[in-house]
Amino acid sequence: MTEPVISFDDLSVSFPTDDGMVRAVRNVSFDVEPGEVMAVVGESGSGKSVTALAAMRLHPGSAEITGEIRFGGRDLLGIGEKEMRRVRGNGIAMIFQDPMTALNPVMKVGAQIAEMVLIHDDVSKKEAWTRAADLLESVGVPEPGRRVKQYPHEFSGGMRQRAMIAMAIANGPDLLIADEPTTALDVTIQAQVLEVMKTAQEATGAAILLITHDLGVVAGIADRVVVMYGGRVFESGSADQVFYRSQNPYTRGLMSSIPRLDAPKGERLIPIPGTPPNVLNPPSGCAFGPRCTFASDSCHESHAELMSVGFDGTHRSRCHKLAELPDLFAAAETR
Amino acid sequence: MFAYAARRILATIPLLIVATLGLFALESSVRDPVAELRVSCPRCDQVAFDRLIDLYDLDKPVLDLSNPAESRYVAWLGNVITGDFGSSTSQGENPVSDTVFTRAKNTMILAIPAFFVIASLATFLGVFSAVRQYSKTDYAITGLSFLGIAMPTFFFGLFLQVFWGIWFHDWFGMRPFFTSQMHDDSFVDLLKSITLPIVTLTLVVVATESRFIRASMLEVVHSDYIRTARAKGLSERKVIFKHALRNAMIPVVTIWALDFSALLGGSVVTESIFSWPGLGPLLLTAIFAADVNMVMAIILLISVLAIGFNLIADLLYGVLDPRIRIS
Amino acid sequence: MPNTAIDLHQLEAEGLSIKPKSFGRQTWERFRRHRLAMIAFVILVLLISSFWIVPILSPYGVREINIQDAAQGVSWKHPFGTDPLGRDLMTRTMEGAQVSIYIAAVVALISTAIGTFLGALAGYFGKWVDALVNQMINLILVVPALVVLLVVGIKFGGSVNQVAFLVALISWITIARIVRGLFFQLKEADFVQAARAAGAGPGRIIFRHILPNAMGPVLVQITLVSGAAIILESTLSFLGLGVTPPDTSLGTLIAESKGFIDVTPSRVLIPGSILTLLVLCLNFLGDGLRDALDPATRKTRQ
Repeated sequence: MTEPVISFDDLSVSFPTDDGMVRAVRNVSFDVEPGEVMAVVGESGSGKSVTALAAMRLHPGSAEITGEIRFGGRDLLGIGEKEMRRVRGNGIAMIFQDPMTALNPVMKVGAQIAEMVLIHDDVSKKEAWTRAADLLESVGVPEPGRRVKQYPHEFSGGMRQRAMIAMAIANGPDLLIADEPTTALDVTIQAQVLEVMKTAQEATGAAILLITHDLGVVAGIADRVVVMYGGRVFESGSADQVFYRSQNPYTRGLMSSIPRLDAPKGERLIPIPGTPPNVLNPPSGCAFGPRCTFASDSCHESHAELMSVGFDGTHRSRCHKLAELPDLFAAAETR
Repeated sequence: MFAYAARRILATIPLLIVATLGLFALESSVRDPVAELRVSCPRCDQVAFDRLIDLYDLDKPVLDLSNPAESRYVAWLGNVITGDFGSSTSQGENPVSDTVFTRAKNTMILAIPAFFVIASLATFLGVFSAVRQYSKTDYAITGLSFLGIAMPTFFFGLFLQVFWGIWFHDWFGMRPFFTSQMHDDSFVDLLKSITLPIVTLTLVVVATESRFIRASMLEVVHSDYIRTARAKGLSERKVIFKHALRNAMIPVVTIWALDFSALLGGSVVTESIFSWPGLGPLLLTAIFAADVNMVMAIILLISVLAIGFNLIADLLYGVLDPRIRIS
Repeated sequence: MPNTAIDLHQLEAEGLSIKPKSFGRQTWERFRRHRLAMIAFVILVLLISSFWIVPILSPYGVREINIQDAAQGVSWKHPFGTDPLGRDLMTRTMEGAQVSIYIAAVVALISTAIGTFLGALAGYFGKWVDALVNQMINLILVVPALVVLLVVGIKFGGSVNQVAFLVALISWITIARIVRGLFFQLKEADFVQAARAAGAGPGRIIFRHILPNAMGPVLVQITLVSGAAIILESTLSFLGLGVTPPDTSLGTLIAESKGFIDVTPSRVLIPGSILTLLVLCLNFLGDGLRDALDPATRKTRQ
């Protein structure tokens, strides 16, 4: 078995606020293997973005953080700031949600990409600019020689996100973290940007950690999926396992609440009732308990552990009713 | 850009005319200079009066109160356009423009160094405060700037006089500064006499500006592109100085332009307290003496400075922010 | 039904109030959490009430001349000292502070009225109304406020009410700008569109729908404008173009004492410090109000 690119081990992140501690991430553990696309799925407030930011150590300074994030043979939470800076943009690169605001408005796009090269590579300025133009070309920006000299406001949203991707792959990172990379874009552009990310991944061999709330995005691109809810991992496994053989009421709810083209005619969308848990005052038992159709008293008393489903240990789910779930799902479907 | 500047200047001309017309009408109707001459010299005969009236141009259309205010203003404006600002009734025989020119030079001796102190100090404090938000230093800087904003300039100037002049005897020498002696005075003497006025001029402006820069900087520091810059692996120093500062300073340029033009126009309060022979005290004496030509010349200078620097600020804005293209 | 009432009480006791707190109450609670603003508020109340209480308790009349005690420094008999006519400066300072407060209040009142009215008109109707108000604002910005006040002051200044009116003539601009901006935003808001769709006329929309929502920021501005008015008035009086004797304001007191600054610096330092403290408290109050009224600014701080 190969060594994972990055592994989160028992990661917890809490923020002090005026109204008390917010425990955004609770004991999260998962690995990303080299070259794979790992998707972290969840609603807003599920802790998925905080997990991603913690890997870059870009979470707010006031946060209290425990656990380990192992990358390249060391714990990223234990190394000095200087060493962490060498990881950022070089070992791990990040693509942010909103390309409209993620680029510096007063710097030329070429300068921003060239800067990424210059930070981590000992090359001349001219060389860095040439690489910037090459990178733009590789992510499908037409006329890169002219485009490098333009400012972000002269780029469309899709083009800006391409420029962000170009910047991210500039130093051939081992891991690319994409935090909701398509959420701010038009639907038609979304597919193009995902395509560019895939191509970029193939070219650099980087693993991708894709943070998203959009299952449609996950379906097309992910190898493995982690489903998060209320700061905890609720289900993890291969994309097939989570999509087609889900063993978790929350994941199931998420699936049946999105429209699908391949759904049988007449199938209705079923929204998940209720709202995501209050981050300040989460429910005492299972975080999903108050919204779960299958919940019983035990669900409200304590939260369940993440358990293996099946035999090879690749598919895991967190549910008190794990044993009864197949029957419960079947009963729900016939109803 | 040139067309834009021209358009802007043309648009401000009506404003300038309305403002100066209003102030002219007010100022020139405060007192009747001829009547005052008669009071000030009860034993003068008609010949002497005529000579005085001629000397002070009181029979010219600008100052002759038998004309209506509008026509006096038009006469004044006509003279001004040809470069004739008239003569002063309170500052001796020199033409108004000469006196204003000398005083403006004196004001610049304070204004230019004061501006550089203000700009650098405010930037330093504002950036430092923002980068160390909620630290003890931030609270200290914030507290001091609140105090600076709350303290009236004249009180701060007097306080400095008490502090350095009385409690710490004559560190700076409180004596008035005479421009005629400027060539004899050594550089150290000059430095001594401008220090306290500059500190006084600086305080309130630094306090307000550092608050402004702090707010602007905080907004930028929390923006997405700063997170991007950090995610690149840039050092915090570079993130702040290369990425954040440039963005944060864009709105500050306007403030700087306005403050600099205000400094160049002379400070009535600070210059008066420290007996500095700049434009401020000149304006004050002229107002008290109802010296219409002098008051109007200074006001015109101040307004033109304000308008001009505002325009420069707008043009600079376009240079600094690529999203704004001035056409 | 008594049962429901008990239930509500129990819920309340558990911190699970069903009834959402009113905006005013939320604001008050947030304001109370702002410790500095709270302290400023208390000091301000104490300070202002002392301006009226001390002269009553004082054994000396404001204009009571007492040549034997002339030009004294700080003492037990005269805590703030005396002026060259032997008048008790503590009493005179309080009298002057009353005038400063009075002027600040009048300025706040007039400039809020003018500023809100013109700002609302400009922001709501836009077009030529806005252009006109804007030109009025720009007009005063072409020439610095102090210079305008000096020129106008020599013709119309002197009495307390005249000075207050003059300062208000400049101060309404800040409020007008804020209100104008708010109206620009709010007139497009959904609830205003809804009111318009329901057939409400401009008067009703301005006064019943938009203005109440603009009052928060205006309130903040009022505190700041009052502080600025105190500074402006005292500066004018200091230069001899504001409140002139026999009326006294804090600025006048400092102006008449500055010649004696080397003999009795306390005559300058005491009224000056009171002046600074007043404005400082008003500004802290405004700052606290701004935070309390706008939870968003507090959130971004975290």
